[in-house]
Amino acid sequence: MKEVVLRLRYRYWPDHLLGEILSKRWTETAIPVIVLLLVAFAFSEAIPGFLSPNSLADTARQAAEIGFVVLGMALVIVVGGIDLSVGSMFALTDFCALFCLDVLNLPVPAVAVITIVFGALLGAVNGFLIGYLRLRAFITTLITLIIYRSAYDLLLFDYSNTIAAAFPDDAVWDFMGGGGVFGVPSVALLYAMVAIFGHVFMTRLRPGWHITAIGGSRRSAYNSGVAVRRTIARCYAASGALTAVGALFFAARLSTVGGDVGVGLEVTVLTAAVLGGISLGGGRGSVARALVGTLIVLLITNGLTTLSVRGGVNRMVLAGILLVAATIDIRWLKNRTRIIAKVYVSPTFHHMPALLGPRVGQGSRFEQNDKLKDVSLIGLGRIEAPEDVILDRHDNLYAGSRHGDIIRFFPPDYEKMEVYAHIGGQPLGMAFDRDDNLYVCIGGMGLYRITPDRRVEKATDETNRSLYSVNDDSRLRLADDLDIADDGRIFFSEATVRYEMHEWPVDGLEARGNGRIICYDPATKTTRTVLRGLKFPNGICVSRNGQSILFAETWGCCIKRYWFEGPKKGRVEMLIDNLPGFPDNINLSSDGNYWLAMVGMRSPALDLAWRMPGFRRRMAKRVPLDEWLFPNINTGCVLRFNEAGDILETYWDQAGVNHPMITSMREHKGYLYLGGIMNNRIGRLKLGKADPDFVQYETRWRKSA
Amino acid sequence: MIGALRAIGDRVLGRGDASITVPIFDGALKPNQILENAEIVAQFDAADDLATDGKAPLVCDGGRVLLPTDGAGTEVAHFDRPVTALCALPDGGIAVALDGREVIVREGAGGERRSTGPANAPFRSANAIACLADGRLAVTDGSRDNDCAQWTHDLMGRGATGRLILLDPRNGDAREAARGLEYAFGACAAGNETLVSESWRHRVLAVTSDGRRRIVLGRLPVYPSRLAVAAGGGFWLTAFAARTQLVEFVLRENAFRRRMMKEIAPEHWIAPRLRSGDSYLEPMQGAHLRTMGVLKPWAPPRSYGLVIRLSADGVPRYSLHSRVDGINHGIVAAAEVGGFLYLLARGPGRLLRLPLADLEKDAAA
Repeated sequence: MKEVVLRLRYRYWPDHLLGEILSKRWTETAIPVIVLLLVAFAFSEAIPGFLSPNSLADTARQAAEIGFVVLGMALVIVVGGIDLSVGSMFALTDFCALFCLDVLNLPVPAVAVITIVFGALLGAVNGFLIGYLRLRAFITTLITLIIYRSAYDLLLFDYSNTIAAAFPDDAVWDFMGGGGVFGVPSVALLYAMVAIFGHVFMTRLRPGWHITAIGGSRRSAYNSGVAVRRTIARCYAASGALTAVGALFFAARLSTVGGDVGVGLEVTVLTAAVLGGISLGGGRGSVARALVGTLIVLLITNGLTTLSVRGGVNRMVLAGILLVAATIDIRWLKNRTRIIAKVYVSPTFHHMPALLGPRVGQGSRFEQNDKLKDVSLIGLGRIEAPEDVILDRHDNLYAGSRHGDIIRFFPPDYEKMEVYAHIGGQPLGMAFDRDDNLYVCIGGMGLYRITPDRRVEKATDETNRSLYSVNDDSRLRLADDLDIADDGRIFFSEATVRYEMHEWPVDGLEARGNGRIICYDPATKTTRTVLRGLKFPNGICVSRNGQSILFAETWGCCIKRYWFEGPKKGRVEMLIDNLPGFPDNINLSSDGNYWLAMVGMRSPALDLAWRMPGFRRRMAKRVPLDEWLFPNINTGCVLRFNEAGDILETYWDQAGVNHPMITSMREHKGYLYLGGIMNNRIGRLKLGKADPDFVQYETRWRKSA
Repeated sequence: MIGALRAIGDRVLGRGDASITVPIFDGALKPNQILENAEIVAQFDAADDLATDGKAPLVCDGGRVLLPTDGAGTEVAHFDRPVTALCALPDGGIAVALDGREVIVREGAGGERRSTGPANAPFRSANAIACLADGRLAVTDGSRDNDCAQWTHDLMGRGATGRLILLDPRNGDAREAARGLEYAFGACAAGNETLVSESWRHRVLAVTSDGRRRIVLGRLPVYPSRLAVAAGGGFWLTAFAARTQLVEFVLRENAFRRRMMKEIAPEHWIAPRLRSGDSYLEPMQGAHLRTMGVLKPWAPPRSYGLVIRLSADGVPRYSLHSRVDGINHGIVAAAEVGGFLYLLARGPGRLLRLPLADLEKDAAA
């Protein structure tokens, strides 16, 4: 009963999604968005009409003004600095705009250009000091904050009366200050345009990438050839220019040069940026985050003002929020990978039925013997990790190695060897097509092809992305074994979409259906996923009728059949279930049946652990990987089975000394060749009663040619 | 209340008692292969303990007590039940524990005395006997719930019913000097104290005859077992198995542990064993994976061979190892005879021998 509940809970509650969602970059934007929605909801409940169109338009106008400043601040933070002088720059450029308009009586376009250039110059001072002279951003902008503010106060003393007395009458100026299109304020429209450009700039254009790179690691960016000093200087100039734009609209709206213009603006802007998720450490931020942060801060300040909270309290709230946001920012950045690593692994309930009677041994289907004791060894100590072995029609023997090579051994004694092709990733399953191309699944890379003239070509490394998966599963992470149908289509298994090849034990710990079977059609060069949710699909073999494939699910301990043609097209049938071990590659045998490699055997302790997901989850967190309870893949065997799924014969090496691990086998002219991914040898066994002329290529391709 | 909260916090965070860390083999415990290369003197089917009368080693194998000279061995005594502890008496007699439940003293003069321990709490798994200076015998009783052969059950059941019993063979008086030990396995006289191995607590205690305890050696990375006196002063401490983080983890996973004990055969439990690698049904850990045909000697030990030479005040001086890739595992008893250190490896059932002079020379180097 308890187990039923456990099974249902793990079947329907998607534990694995939490880790996948957290590892997405957009979660760092999603959290501020949620905060924004909560703030908006709270204030609209507390204040009637808080979210009415009028109120919203007013908010939008202020938001856009501050938003420009936040954009500038965001840029500077992303590049790895900080700009405390924005408040003073805001005041000075505000003054500049009104001075040009009211005292010099310049036309509005000229005022705009002069103001923005002036802002850029003010920023450029920061930029020069910080970018080229390498001063500290914090202290430099603190000093310019004071200098600019003093300059503003001095200018204010001289001109405030003149400016206050003037009433500029200009349609463009009024449009900037209070106009809009269909109720959308003019400033918000411009902000939207700048924001869209900014987004494209930061995510799609070279300078944007340079900025992020410098913020992420200044030294690495420098070593990569990025013009670090110039880029930083320009960011400060841009910050000044964006501040000037905000100030321009502010001037158009209020036309004042009071003493408190821009006072404390840097705190508001900084709060907005950090709250939006722009990390103070640099290198992480986006326009969307700047926008969200601006809105949160503005809603809070406006909401509190509407609720008649005193100014001091208002400030205190903002400062408090800044503190909290900065703390979360730093803690999250520091622990992000650790947290994700802890929650990503999510074991699930996996019930293997108990094996009836003796699991293995006398009288059972899996009788133990020592038939593999006397295999002769090929390439002992000279080849490492031959997961699969294959022979061509000229008796040459091919095997992968963990150095990323395909090794070729020459007949008749297979003593001489050469590197047939270098691919770079660990070769796994292999198959020859009709034209003697060798197709190879490469762990971490995808499906590759080696032509008879030894050219390495990529066949495919991506498939269609699943609609409902959080992880982007279009890339192939662990292409495992393949076989080629009569019409040239290649069916290959991808053992897991959640882990890399060397992380296979973690997938075994999860025991979830993370794998899939994919079909690549060389004729159309298209790749489609045909089956999903398989428990480490591994060996694949096109069956003798040519209409179905047999495939092994390693953690599922079963062999299934998938019909890709014929009347049962699309159906999956169980062929052998509840195996006592972990099935791996499947291949044809000369007597019309199939060979199956069992890479390891089930152990009762693991069977029990598979039924206790909580135990495994805690083990993954507490116990180091080397000490985890593993599937036992030190002992294995080779089986022969027929089309109906009956086991005909078994081959064991009980001592496990001569040929300890078997992941694949290939029959060729009366011999059986054995490969193992953790071995430094290839085994060769003389078969007692086998067709001495059996060659895989002839069987596969001559009959259908 | 605070203690309970702290315990919960510890379990969540894996600290304190919930921590599964195991000390490493370091310092005097630095691994070597000396034990693996030891000379094999004899092979037995069910040897359990080793003793010496000063002239030759004595081994108990099932119900027989043997002088293992030249392979087959000469039978010294025979009992109807398996001998679980053996001790040579100063007067030339022997003391044995039969099936863990009864101690028989055969005096050199020919008399025989029997004891089943304290009347209200008889022996259940008497597993070691040592002679004390005052003529009494120190007997360790591993557990009151499990027989000797079922020591794994006691470990996985988190047993804490081990005792040190002082037995006076002259009048049959048996008195508990210590109780509530987490598997007492091995005793040795040390001055007016008795050293006792407390296996599941990974430590060696010194117990006085009036019951006061002192930790001589704690936080061992192994499960200590029988002790023997070394001629140059000090002791030989055997360790029949080594700790692993996975076993420590399973010991704290109560639900899994209970189901494992109920549903799985003991030889396939996640638990220390005296020998390993016999069956693929045994649990395999990550580092046990044979890579390029090699089993790493540093892999977490399911079984291990270790003897530690302690100084007179109980500080480890050096140690002899048979590592994970070796065979001489499950060392349960040691004895010095005629310039040799004799060791009983229960895993392969071997009596091993190492020249003492070489050991001292290596240790000095």
